[in-house]
Amino acid sequence: MKAKKQAVAGSLESSDAMVTIAPSEDAKVEYSIESIVIKQFGKRIRAVTEEVVAASGLEGVKVHVQDRGALECTLRARLETAIARAADRA
Amino acid sequence: MESILEAREARWARKLALVGAMAEERDGRNASLAAITLRMPAGLRLSGSSATAALALHADFAAMLRGREIEPAREEFRIGGDGPESCFTAFLPAEDLKRFSVEFERFHPLGALADIDVMDRGGRPLGRAELGLGARECLVCGGTAAVCCAGRAHAAEAVAERVSRIVAAFERQPMARESFIGRAALAAAVWEVSASPKPGLVTPHSSGSHRDMEYATFLASAAALGPRFAEFARLGRCSAGEPAALLPALREAGKAAERDMFAATGGVNTHKGLIFSLGLLCAAAGRLEAAGIAPAPSAIAAGAAAIAEGITSRDLARAAAPRNSAARYAAFPDDPRYAGTAGERLFRQFGVRGIRGEAEDGFPSVLNIALPALRAGLSRGLSFNDAMVDALLALCAAVEDTNVLARAGRGGLEIMRREAALAAAAGGIATPQGRAAIEKMNAALIARNISPGGCADLLALAVFLYLLDSRPSAAGARFAAVESPIFK
Repeated sequence: MKAKKQAVAGSLESSDAMVTIAPSEDAKVEYSIESIVIKQFGKRIRAVTEEVVAASGLEGVKVHVQDRGALECTLRARLETAIARAADRA
Repeated sequence: MESILEAREARWARKLALVGAMAEERDGRNASLAAITLRMPAGLRLSGSSATAALALHADFAAMLRGREIEPAREEFRIGGDGPESCFTAFLPAEDLKRFSVEFERFHPLGALADIDVMDRGGRPLGRAELGLGARECLVCGGTAAVCCAGRAHAAEAVAERVSRIVAAFERQPMARESFIGRAALAAAVWEVSASPKPGLVTPHSSGSHRDMEYATFLASAAALGPRFAEFARLGRCSAGEPAALLPALREAGKAAERDMFAATGGVNTHKGLIFSLGLLCAAAGRLEAAGIAPAPSAIAAGAAAIAEGITSRDLARAAAPRNSAARYAAFPDDPRYAGTAGERLFRQFGVRGIRGEAEDGFPSVLNIALPALRAGLSRGLSFNDAMVDALLALCAAVEDTNVLARAGRGGLEIMRREAALAAAAGGIATPQGRAAIEKMNAALIARNISPGGCADLLALAVFLYLLDSRPSAAGARFAAVESPIFK
């Protein structure tokens, strides 16, 4: 599945995350992850991000996560919304 | 979950729109936005009871901003799908707004529950780390809040327990203390004007040297000022750091109090001087209470002096060289536009610092003259009324009252001092000779249009300090035990 357009979900408020998905030339998915708790939860955030994107079947996109200490369920929800918006399903 | 996340996205969009709109005004220079949300589990945040805490945070954040002479460009309070939220925009560098917010989170009694996000005009959030400030502490364990939060380190019950303790502490004690301070201030204002006989001054039986005000005017004014005195105490309790940093907030509260006073009296100045001095003492008492220090008169007076530090040099230096230039004042001495306040004018004319100097010096006339005289009278068995009258005589004999200087100059002041000293020497209110001397003094002052309003204010301050230092019921019971026959 290809992204039809750039999409954003979430916010930069405390305990939230902002996910930006943009179509790219490359076929594979490119991740960039920022977090205020990267030291403690960086690996987990990357794992969750990759898992949700893989499950969606989205390819050829850049996924940018700006995490402000979101709960895992919040991060998942923000990722899913951003993917749906990028695929024009929301 | 869904609706909370949607509400947050909507809030984020609104915040971006708010700072974005500011960017168009004044070229958006230094525009920034602070948003306050509650730092507690969603269940609590969405419960009705959280609104009270959020409203208190909103009101106090606004008051403290204005206290720093920062007027919010816009302020909003709403309860959305994610709970209560406050938004403030200001033409202020985001770094400054963030520092202010961090300070507020630290010192406000509910600050631990406030999550204040600050963004600059481009919508970029400003973190504590960027300003070199320590990370926000977890409510429960004191560790890094973001880590505990993201990792759900604590059970919801543990967080809820902590939240309810903070809210309960805020709702119970401080309010009761503030209203106690406010009540003492109101009682002091009412008791002072009710004391009789008071030469030249307004009492229940006489308007003294005044034609534009009477006892009822003072009562109306005092009633209007009651909540304002509580407000001064509250500002004192909320303040942290240097005492002098509190002064701008108190000036704003003072201006509001003056507006209430003029509205209640139909434009007559009954308590302007007292708003300043008693307001300072209320704030100092609030600070002491917050610090858990007993409100001893000397401690309150010293605290007020620390808040007022430098006020004489600042205000009165301006008076010595007024904004509109000394030359213009000299040319139009009666034009109020060039004259400043009565205190500023008298400093120019007589070099007397008045109530500002008294405050800055730690209220020596109150601590060393009025309060000992009041206590001495009460311990001799006088009623509170009579002890106040003797304390007033002691003040009139010693103080450079600027109200007297303004109305009657140096000569008037000397006459008042001499008459008061004679009345005190004759035994004051307790003896027939003393009472005759008080009556003679009253006639002398009224004949010369003299009213020792400054001394009356100092007496009210002494009563206030006395009330906070002792059990008010004991003092109140005997207020009118001895009726004064003199002016009936």
